[in-house]
Amino acid sequence: MNQLIVNTKKLNFSYTKTRKDIENLELKVPKGSIYGFLGPNGSGKSTTIRLLLGLLKKQSGTVALFGESFSSKTRLKSLTKVGALIENPSLYEHLNAVDNLKIAANYRQNIPAERIEEVLDIVKLSHAKKKKVKAYSLGMKQRLGLAISLLSSPELIILDEPTNGLDPKGIIEMRELIKELNEKYGTTVFISSHLLSEIEKTCTHVGIIRNGKMLFQDTVKALKSSKGEKLMIDIEVDKFIEAMTVLEKLQKENTSLVDDFLQIEVENKEEITVVIDALRAQNVKVYQVSIKNNLEELFLSLTEN
Amino acid sequence: MTAISYYLSNTKNEVIKLKGTFAFWLTIISALIIPLLFFTIYLVKHTKLIPALGDNPWDKFMVNQVQNAIPALVPMFIVLITSLIIQVEHKSHGIKHLFSLPIPKWSVYFGKLSIVIFSIITTYIYFFLAILFFGILLGMFHSDLGFLDFQPDYMKYIKMLTMSLVGSLGIVGIQFWMSFRFKNFIVSLAIGMTLVIIGLIASQVPESIYFPYSYSVLSISLGDKVPLIMGFSSITIYSLSCFVITSILGYLDIKRLNVK
Repeated sequence: MNQLIVNTKKLNFSYTKTRKDIENLELKVPKGSIYGFLGPNGSGKSTTIRLLLGLLKKQSGTVALFGESFSSKTRLKSLTKVGALIENPSLYEHLNAVDNLKIAANYRQNIPAERIEEVLDIVKLSHAKKKKVKAYSLGMKQRLGLAISLLSSPELIILDEPTNGLDPKGIIEMRELIKELNEKYGTTVFISSHLLSEIEKTCTHVGIIRNGKMLFQDTVKALKSSKGEKLMIDIEVDKFIEAMTVLEKLQKENTSLVDDFLQIEVENKEEITVVIDALRAQNVKVYQVSIKNNLEELFLSLTEN
Repeated sequence: MTAISYYLSNTKNEVIKLKGTFAFWLTIISALIIPLLFFTIYLVKHTKLIPALGDNPWDKFMVNQVQNAIPALVPMFIVLITSLIIQVEHKSHGIKHLFSLPIPKWSVYFGKLSIVIFSIITTYIYFFLAILFFGILLGMFHSDLGFLDFQPDYMKYIKMLTMSLVGSLGIVGIQFWMSFRFKNFIVSLAIGMTLVIIGLIASQVPESIYFPYSYSVLSISLGDKVPLIMGFSSITIYSLSCFVITSILGYLDIKRLNVK
């Protein structure tokens, strides 16, 4: 996991003179990882991806793919090992899936005809391969876009917001597909998203970007532990004042009332039952208890001003 | 991979992309409009159009069609077909995908430009064949029109159409660059159509020899009086120069373009 498949150093880019859209970005994507590139809308994720693929001209800094500096001389060699799905998939909607894949295969060359059937099978579109793409649902289009990027069995797949606009079933299918690619074929996956839950469920590594600057970059495990072991829980009760008194006795000082919920911090899951027992002992009715997502809070605290 | 294989794979793909598109049908429809119109007129008013004894009916039949089609319709067709062919790419968000593939950017630009030229040549061939077909058909319906008694002067019309085709290449270079540059189909179409109209009006003045959008009209209105440069028609020289320059500049511009 030490070799870096994508490595940028002091990468800078601006669309206009007044604002820096990417500022000193240091991106480190280890080989074999599923790297989640996380940030709110407009934070510079798509711009970074376009810089990695050479669609935008960097103003300063370096981009290295597969350990080799990306330039007009190395462009063709590097891109041979990359499959990309950038925002909306580029599909010819008046043609069917097979024709779209044939076009992609012709561009890449040396791709055997049976590979088209294989990738259709991987993204589960074999049943609709003769259907015109304009009759496809958004999820099917995204999957076909992924199939095109898989055609050359790339070492690195770059997916820009692949779950955008998908329904819950489509999101789960896409997630499973990404994990399968990584586990089965060892493909390094670089995936951008503005949804923390997506990254948390799919990725091994995470980079958080805001206003073109990298705020955090490490493993997902490291991100989780950076928040500490404590858990934040929400409790819905009938009598707030009595409940607060009970919690005070339990020496729970960081107690707050948010949207009709009592919010407290506990050391571990065991302590949740202690709190419930104490509340019930004082005849305080407990309607629900939920553990808050620490990571979400951390993400918000990092990405909000 | 060699330059030739990049170019061939790009051109092959452009053919697949055109399958069933309006651009594809436009190459056929545009070629048929004028011949079909003349066929209908000759069919309805054939008694008034019977040639004098010994006159070749093909001369009038072909010259009239070529003179009606070339000045205004050819430049309009070129503006439309160029915009439509590149629109297939813009509509599918294809440029960003193509430029992130391991293929040289020149093969994308010139592969697509080749298919535009190929479509225009195809339309010229269809047009020529449609005139012959409808002429023969008229001869079969009304033998007094004399179409089956005479042979058309093939070389004369092939030369006329070839001159018109070469004279149109200047517009192809400009329109192709514009259509590639602007995602919105309306921009290149509107600018192109405006320039065609200006070209028609400007063709009245001698300076229009420097304005590519006037070349279609001039190739007909000047006929053999076109000024020569080193023995070649100045329209041919200027049009080819415009095509080569705009194609190279267009490619250099697209190559350094930030694809958003």
